[in-house]
Amino acid sequence: MVLHTLSAAPSGAAFNDCLKVLQAGDTLVLFGDGVYAALEGTAACDKLRATQAELFVLESDARLAGIAKTAANISWLDMDGLVALTERFPRQLAWY
Amino acid sequence: MPGAEKRSVLVVMRHSPYGSSLAKAAVDVALAAGAFDQPVDLLFTGDGVLQLFPDQDSHSLGKKNMGRQLASLPMYDIDRVYVDAEAASRYNLDTATSPVEAKLLDPREMRQLMVGYDHLLGL
Amino acid sequence: MIYSLLILSPSVSGHGSRLGAEFARSAIARGHSIRRVFFLDAATTASSCNSIFAQDELNPAQAWEALHEEHAVELVICISSALKYGMLDDTEADRHGRPCASVNPAFTVSGLGQLVDACANSDRLMTFGG
Repeated sequence: MVLHTLSAAPSGAAFNDCLKVLQAGDTLVLFGDGVYAALEGTAACDKLRATQAELFVLESDARLAGIAKTAANISWLDMDGLVALTERFPRQLAWY
Repeated sequence: MPGAEKRSVLVVMRHSPYGSSLAKAAVDVALAAGAFDQPVDLLFTGDGVLQLFPDQDSHSLGKKNMGRQLASLPMYDIDRVYVDAEAASRYNLDTATSPVEAKLLDPREMRQLMVGYDHLLGL
Repeated sequence: MIYSLLILSPSVSGHGSRLGAEFARSAIARGHSIRRVFFLDAATTASSCNSIFAQDELNPAQAWEALHEEHAVELVICISSALKYGMLDDTEADRHGRPCASVNPAFTVSGLGQLVDACANSDRLMTFGG
């Protein structure tokens, strides 16, 4: 299992590189500019959901970006929640 | 490193060789791991495959030649090198001509590779 | 668990440095220990003791200094990156004949071996870039 973190906007190479290896059983946390991939009704968000990976967005960063509502199936978490995920996942891969 | 444990690392190289200093940093990290006898393998994915073009000539620009740096990896016992086949094909890169021998992987194999390491280092 | 962090982005731009510091604080609060935070590339500028911020703006690098002071978190900047970015401690300033150091004493200047050591001796390695 891999915990992926994406901190770049979905128009960049990091998003596509991440998407390529993301699969069911993995978890992706969106923070920084990565939060824009959580926007409901966007192609990026649809692509992420199609991977069947578990999706999270960091609450503070979503609020910073002005994203009040994210797509269904994307859960909000705080930094404590992110640390808890890293306890479960032996390895993280950062996409930025 | 006295008393160091061993944990395996896969360095995931994602950046073009000269567009930032990240590619150079990634090779330096790999070489340092090799020098300290820590197990390290490399995966070139996305724009990282651009590091594998042969005939890089950095001489006139006073930069370190990334191709030559990669070619030195086997001397540090870093000889398990993998490359994202899709990205290589996107850039029409013939990996047979690359400065370092690399095994082509499809996305499923890349994902499988990743779970075999203690740490993933995306650079 | 033992964590180490690799920070790749400068504290004045992007998200990586801020997120890394927040992560370290939360990890400690959950009972984990941080073996080392290693700053590579532009991230080494977080160690600058010469950054000036407007009064209504927070210096984001202070989060690192606070972690060092409150929890003795080891902050190591990569020497080869640091020299390129002009981040010199007393020893390096002296060695290279520069008038003064530019590194906050909360940070240590050292080589990539410290990152390798962090990988070898940590249960988790968290990378923050971008």
